[in-house]
Amino acid sequence: MLSALGGFQPRQLATQVLNFALVLSTAFMLWKGLSVVTNSPSPIVVVLSGSMEPAFQRGDLLFLWNRGMDTQIGEIVVYNVKGKDIPIVHRVVRRFGGGSTPLQILTKGDNNAADDTELYAHGQNYLNRVEDVIGSVVAFVPSVGYVTILLSEYPWLKTAMLGLMGLTVVLQRE
Amino acid sequence: MSAPAKIAVYSVSDLKNTTDDALPNYLSSLQFKQSHKLTDVRLLLGYTAVLISGALFYFDWKQGWDVTKPYTLPAVVAYFILNGAFTWWIWRVERGVVFMGDVGGRKIRISSRTEKHKPIYFLTVDYDSEKGKPQEIQIQASFTRWFTSEGYFVAKPFQQWLASEVPLIGEQDPSNVVEEIGRGNVNEEKGMASGVGDGRSPPTRKRKV
Repeated sequence: MLSALGGFQPRQLATQVLNFALVLSTAFMLWKGLSVVTNSPSPIVVVLSGSMEPAFQRGDLLFLWNRGMDTQIGEIVVYNVKGKDIPIVHRVVRRFGGGSTPLQILTKGDNNAADDTELYAHGQNYLNRVEDVIGSVVAFVPSVGYVTILLSEYPWLKTAMLGLMGLTVVLQRE
Repeated sequence: MSAPAKIAVYSVSDLKNTTDDALPNYLSSLQFKQSHKLTDVRLLLGYTAVLISGALFYFDWKQGWDVTKPYTLPAVVAYFILNGAFTWWIWRVERGVVFMGDVGGRKIRISSRTEKHKPIYFLTVDYDSEKGKPQEIQIQASFTRWFTSEGYFVAKPFQQWLASEVPLIGEQDPSNVVEEIGRGNVNEEKGMASGVGDGRSPPTRKRKV
């Protein structure tokens, strides 16, 4: 199979490599385009915990929107805590400030007993809407994100999938 | 045509790709000078787009969203414009060109296509006639003419077909020009599979009258 690569002319090889690169870069640029439209660094996230059950299950795919910063109580937001890089999906239960002062919010998981003060960075008692929140949930698709949970829990799957993808694109011509 | 590769004879795209690759090889072995202009423009468009996306990826990975945010929109727009130009180039400009070049100042441009589930090779040949006038001819032939039933490409009948059908190629390679009556592949005319037993000897017999 791989001997097929050896016989290519330089331009043909360049074409095959380009086809693969275009698949990856198009996916990346679509993602970035969506980021620009939604104004969110991560416009689609997967629910990783059961803390929002029964609203969201592990593996649900959420679509975020980060324009319109006047977040109301009851909205479900996704936020990043400084120093931790896992986004958290929880519901807004209190809001302070707003208007001329920066809007601050307190969140809580529907399925959790206490609010999120424990989860925030050390000494932080609320979230800054502009700095910490990456978007409000506007739509969701159940379960389809479970694949990415599998991929992140078994990293070798990721490598295997990427390798397989690359090989297919390079070896097939149509 | 070195190291003959075996292909699946029931796959029209395999038949087409192998033949597409053989065509420039044959013409280059004559006096034809191949021009890679079309391919080079396509590669340039594609790789520029990939480069933009790669740069954004690296920048984003190193600096994060807050820093890259203002550059993201222009990069995304530029990427999709280039990507669109790339696609347009393939569909509207290249349109299946497999060989472009010239011999002694006379231009030739050959485009190939196949139709779904039909083992027929269609060529559109644009070339300058002896008087320098641009001409276009459409030719077609069954792949069975130059593929054995085992799936090996046989160069001779393919070259004979091209040299006989395209005057400009025939002038460069007179020895491969065969008359209509001499090309007779009886099996093919009867609509039967014209596989060759040993996969080595060409399926056509040269019989000039």
